Amino acid sequence: MPAASALNVLVVDDQLTMRSLIRNSLQQIGVREISEAADGELGLRAAITKPVHLIISDFNMPNLDGLGLLRAIRAHPPTSKTAFIMLTGRADRELVQRAVQFGVNNYLVKPFTTAQLKEKLEGVFGPLT
Amino acid sequence: MSDDPFEAIKVTFFQECSELLGDLETNLLALETGEGDIETINAVFRAVHSVKGGAGAFGLEDLVRFAHVFETLMDELRSGRKECDDVTVKTLLRASDVLADHIAAAQGTGAPVDAARSAGLVAELEVLTHGQATPAVAAAPVVADEDDFGFKPLTLDLADFGAPAELPSLDLPALDLPSLDLPDLAAPSAAALTAGWRIVFRPHPRLYASANDVSLLLRELTRLGQTSVELDASGLPSLEALDAEDAHLIWTIVLTGDVTEAAVRDVFDFVEMDCDLSITALDGGSPSAETALPPLPVLDAAPAEPAFDLAALLAQAKAPVEAAPVAAPAPVAAAPKPVAPAAPAPAAPSPVASAPAAAPSAPAAVAPVTIRVDLDRVDRLINVVGELVIQQAMLAQRVMESGLARSSDIALGLEDLELLTRDIQDSVMAIRAQPVKSVFQRMPRLVREVAEMTGKRVRLVTSGEDTEVDKTVVERLAEPITHMLRNAIDHGLESPEEREAAGKPAEGTVRLAALHRSGRIVIEIADDGKGINRPRVRGIAVDRGLIAEDAVLTDDEVDNLIFLPGFSTAETITDVSGRGVGMDVVRRSIQALGGRISISSNPGKGSTFTLSLPLTLAVLDGMVVSAAGQTLVAPLSAIVESLTPRIEDVHYVGGHDAVIRFREEFVPMVDVGRVMGFRDDATTLTGGVVMIVETEAGSRAALLVDAINGQRQVVIKSLETHYRQVDGVSAATILGDGSVALILDIDALVIAGHRKSNRPELKMAS
Repeated sequence: MPAASALNVLVVDDQLTMRSLIRNSLQQIGVREISEAADGELGLRAAITKPVHLIISDFNMPNLDGLGLLRAIRAHPPTSKTAFIMLTGRADRELVQRAVQFGVNNYLVKPFTTAQLKEKLEGVFGPLT
Repeated sequence: MSDDPFEAIKVTFFQECSELLGDLETNLLALETGEGDIETINAVFRAVHSVKGGAGAFGLEDLVRFAHVFETLMDELRSGRKECDDVTVKTLLRASDVLADHIAAAQGTGAPVDAARSAGLVAELEVLTHGQATPAVAAAPVVADEDDFGFKPLTLDLADFGAPAELPSLDLPALDLPSLDLPDLAAPSAAALTAGWRIVFRPHPRLYASANDVSLLLRELTRLGQTSVELDASGLPSLEALDAEDAHLIWTIVLTGDVTEAAVRDVFDFVEMDCDLSITALDGGSPSAETALPPLPVLDAAPAEPAFDLAALLAQAKAPVEAAPVAAPAPVAAAPKPVAPAAPAPAAPSPVASAPAAAPSAPAAVAPVTIRVDLDRVDRLINVVGELVIQQAMLAQRVMESGLARSSDIALGLEDLELLTRDIQDSVMAIRAQPVKSVFQRMPRLVREVAEMTGKRVRLVTSGEDTEVDKTVVERLAEPITHMLRNAIDHGLESPEEREAAGKPAEGTVRLAALHRSGRIVIEIADDGKGINRPRVRGIAVDRGLIAEDAVLTDDEVDNLIFLPGFSTAETITDVSGRGVGMDVVRRSIQALGGRISISSNPGKGSTFTLSLPLTLAVLDGMVVSAAGQTLVAPLSAIVESLTPRIEDVHYVGGHDAVIRFREEFVPMVDVGRVMGFRDDATTLTGGVVMIVETEAGSRAALLVDAINGQRQVVIKSLETHYRQVDGVSAATILGDGSVALILDIDALVIAGHRKSNRPELKMAS
């Protein structure tokens, strides 16, 4: 059973509010190592510079969107195995399907609760302690 | 700010909302003027989407519902399913106004939203989206049942990998990526998506000898599809043993995409004889001899590779986005090159090593970084720096008084300290400087609303939005600008019919401009309306007893009568311009900031309000003078020149009004000591000094003082908060010797001088 506190998570969203909300929820779940990036390109640079276990990324962002980030992460061998959870709005069913094609591990519909986020994390990593 | 993190994030959300609203307005206005493109529409979509996302998290139902309808239309527009025509943009502009109302209501800073207006716009947006209004219920977003998507998470079952004994390593707080042996989830999904090729490429020395360039071949491959390139440099001998003519490197390229083997072979067409080449299909196709090679350790020996890789990655990842006409950013140029070319930096499997290796690249890669700081902290810093400036000045004075030589170490050290203090002060002030954009952005909406209410057609033209000024000044600009804009539209502009009858375009133009002028910020609000009706203004002023019936006033003076308390030209009080508290209130609030306001008018052509304010409310470059035994500070920006008056240059008009000849021009003299009430008798001119000053309106006056003591930067302390407002004084300061000195308000002083001497009948307000 992996410990949540050992997870290293990168949160990518162009909205500070969203990043703060996710960080807050992650902290409640017990994740301690959390970094943030404000768009897909910065997220990619961050993930390549400093590998993480999990990327939680918004879809709709300037510069490089979430799907682009996912593709780049998967295409780059050192990061290709990084777990990836995509944040979506309700209307983005098509997007989820595309994200599945590119190898997304899970997705999370906004707005979400901490419990939902935890469930998604456990869907990827198994039960967390 | 609350301790509850959720509440704190909510504060962040509303801060972010006001930024998003600003972006929204800017982008919509760009669309309105036809300067927008698909990226502008995308930006609008993102702004609305972000508002909705955040609002959902905080359960702000009304806001979510409205933003959702707005977002749906934007989605239609950005996908090109609907054309973004003029009518749509106008509706979007009004929708952004209502969105702002919803946000303000949610935040608790605004009135409750006008439900009818909101519902009306929802209907309009839906008509634009679907061609017809849909029932409101359908528009309300509901959290989707996740099973809808038929999604099963891709599990990384950690327990399947590594014996239990390895798991504790995960509990280590340090990043331990290699031990987290994750299943290869990329491969199946990538394979499901497209077939591809694994190319192992080992050049022979002859390949290099015939001047082939591997990087060109690799680039050629990247054109075919998505590539990832690994370099095996394990065959590379040590530097001493290296034969530069030999070949040691092996590349492994994973190419994904719908590419035929022939296309891949074409790339190597001219070098096939000079290399070992193995091409295998990714989806388990026929393995060729070389697959027997052991898995290649990933080595980052070729220094240019990572940079190349990142740029290529970005280019690929952005590929579908680039289909839209977006100016391609140049991340390639920004991609940093590793510093030490020879250092073999393992690219990934050992993050411990790769993190420091990549670290030098991080600063170059990052765009401008900002942090948010509580304003209180900045203000505290500014206050302390203000004290520091005073303390430094006092120290300098003490040292001078102690009779130390100017060249002494202490005096020189103090000079350096003074420079540093100034640097600190400038830097701190720069933290508070903000463009006036935040205020200007609110104005288009105001203009739309006032135009609607008054039945006038108005175009607002703004310029100089990037002009920077202290944050306090920016904040306090909103009210006077609002008031003056209303005034310009309500009183200045004519109705469309009147305008057409006068041979003007039916649509009136109001210009709102900001600019820096001689150390101050100037805001100009100009309309092309009918101008001030001077006989009527004069008549009202006489009726209200503000001026004597036989007063002789210049046109400018008549125009500026509208700033007198209680003066209101609106015969019937309109909804728009207020209830007669008009321009005198505006003027008072501007004066409180150390600012001035004036109006100039051209009958039939329009009026221009000019408002000028200091750039900062904290410091001032001043000239320290003394008059009648008092120490005073005159703002340096107002002083043109100083001189010792010669008795023959001084003339008297009407017996007692002194004027001085200054370069073939007669300038009225103001005896500062007398006007300020420090003494009653007129000074003898000899022995005094005259400062030629320029008022905001551009007229000149000669201030007579006893002596000029020197130039100094002073920290402004409000007199009002410590005492009360005093005519002719804008603020106070503390000098180096610890004494308090008053800072002169040049314009008020000149007006007071006028009044004291030659116009007793004109009761000018202070």
